[in-house]
Amino acid sequence: MPQALPKIAILGAGLLGRLLAFSLRNDAKIKLFDQDSGDATQSAAYLAAAMLAPLAESAESSQGVMRLGEASLKLWPKILEQLPEEVFLQQNGSLLLAFEQDLASLKTFQHNLKDDAYQSVGINEIRALEPEINQRFHQGLFLPNEGQLDNRQLLKVLAKALSNADNITWITNATTEIAEDSVVVNGKCQNGFDWIIDCRGLGAKPNQIDLRGVRGEVIRLYAPQVTLNRPVRLMHPRYPIYIAPKPNNQFVVGATQLESEDRRQPTVRSTLELLSACFSVHSGFAEAEILQNQSGLRPAYLDNEPQMRVNGNVISLNGMYRHGYLLSPVMVDMCRNYLLGKTINPVYREQLPNILQILTVQMEELA
Amino acid sequence: MSCLDIYGTKLDSRMMIGSALYPSPKVMQESIQASGAQIVTLSLSRQNPQASGISGGENFWQLIQSLGLHLLPNTAGCHSVQEAVTMAQMSRELFQTDWVKLELVGDDFNLQPDPIDLVRATEQLLKDGFKVLPYCTDDLVIARHLVELGCKVIMPWGSPIGTGKGIINPYATQAIRDRFPEVTMIIDSGIGTPSHAMQAMEMGVDGILLNTAIAHAQNPQLMAQAFKGAIEAGRLAYEAGPMAQREQASASTPTLDTPFWHSA
Repeated sequence: MPQALPKIAILGAGLLGRLLAFSLRNDAKIKLFDQDSGDATQSAAYLAAAMLAPLAESAESSQGVMRLGEASLKLWPKILEQLPEEVFLQQNGSLLLAFEQDLASLKTFQHNLKDDAYQSVGINEIRALEPEINQRFHQGLFLPNEGQLDNRQLLKVLAKALSNADNITWITNATTEIAEDSVVVNGKCQNGFDWIIDCRGLGAKPNQIDLRGVRGEVIRLYAPQVTLNRPVRLMHPRYPIYIAPKPNNQFVVGATQLESEDRRQPTVRSTLELLSACFSVHSGFAEAEILQNQSGLRPAYLDNEPQMRVNGNVISLNGMYRHGYLLSPVMVDMCRNYLLGKTINPVYREQLPNILQILTVQMEELA
Repeated sequence: MSCLDIYGTKLDSRMMIGSALYPSPKVMQESIQASGAQIVTLSLSRQNPQASGISGGENFWQLIQSLGLHLLPNTAGCHSVQEAVTMAQMSRELFQTDWVKLELVGDDFNLQPDPIDLVRATEQLLKDGFKVLPYCTDDLVIARHLVELGCKVIMPWGSPIGTGKGIINPYATQAIRDRFPEVTMIIDSGIGTPSHAMQAMEMGVDGILLNTAIAHAQNPQLMAQAFKGAIEAGRLAYEAGPMAQREQASASTPTLDTPFWHSA
């Protein structure tokens, strides 16, 4: 007789929760608790630009984040090929540009990159890569190994796959708390889980006290007059602004980065900065339709690096910061292997020594 | 080594350190600790501590406050007297300090302070009971106005913010130092490397404010230590009094006891 499948509660149906449930769909009986109605609109993953840019991120992040981002880039196609519908995954690289007065920022950025897998490009190369953009750009960097996803399409297709899976029960509009080894769902206690996996992002703050929110503002545009072949980043004195082209003439423009947990709507200043960046890159954005202008909070630990924390049978995956899409495949792979008692890729801990924190293990394991 | 005097508060460290631009809050905390600085500057702008309910920048403030250092709020990003005064008042209330590093942007390209409005805002804030630490250029006459208004601390630039070019006009910096020996003089911006800081300290300035040079280093924690050493060494050198330079070589070993065939 086959062994009974472990019962797993996954709290949070953002990117991590969905990917983890999907990866365990044949290995466990899963209850996926979702604060939303299933469309993920309250999750950071819904707002994000889903850039897969390990090298560009390394200007501010550690080498470990970059290396694991590269590892994730290899995992993404394998995840996507298991999904019931195609999801937009582009791997055309990314282009970094600066106006004359920001060239010093470009130089600093280049200086801080933790690998040399990029090319310095001049006016002709820039035109060849992106023929439509403003001709005033003379200097830039081309990072050929970077990519991006269509985040909203991915969340939708994952939802479809999960709702078709026999072993997964998706419970929407569920507010959850963790009380020792049980889950309190909308005020009622549910027991009997072998594992509780907390993927609630900033919603996990009551349990993860060193978690903080880092505000970001993101604009989504519909711009039929604009064609970009890849994400373009524009140097800005405080944070590089990216313009990521998505299918159907949509563009995600972001993101500001403020050390604040202010959840209010985007400010005029941020909106001006993001939109003037767009217009300065391509004048076709002048007539673009503003589909959304939103703010959100990225869940981050103090070192801005993700962690999987194991405390008995409660596991937390959190602190994805700017790197939800960049690092989720690695986090999910690590968690899945841990749950199934398989070997965890040693590279993960070599690159980020704090990525796996085992505080206490389950009693059975000790015995 | 003598102390740094900020409006009567005596401090052992002669470094002030900024809290912006670090790759993560953890790196910021560790860098500030490594620097040995006892004053940390922070800005109210762009964060919203008063924002609805629990949301806002409190997390970040608490992080800085947990370091247990003197807080020096600044008015970064203000373009007018009124803006700067309002922000100073908000900061006083929030951070419970009457110190303010007064910054008034006069030009957006190099963030050069506006000397005229700076003097006006300083006058207003001093009357309102603030202990003003004005960020100014290396203009002697502006410095004189600030001192005459009652500033006990002045903060001229070495070069524009974030440029890392060091003391671009040593003559002007030295002139301010020599003219106002009783005023605490801090070099506020433009220091890029420990040798720049040391040069300024050897000139007799009382302290250095650092942010970008540490936060944008490849290893900010290590660079903070490097600056700590340079600032201390520069101060000691100033207090020790360097030797006079001369054009001709002069042997440091007495030559009386060397045989004549070894001489010249």
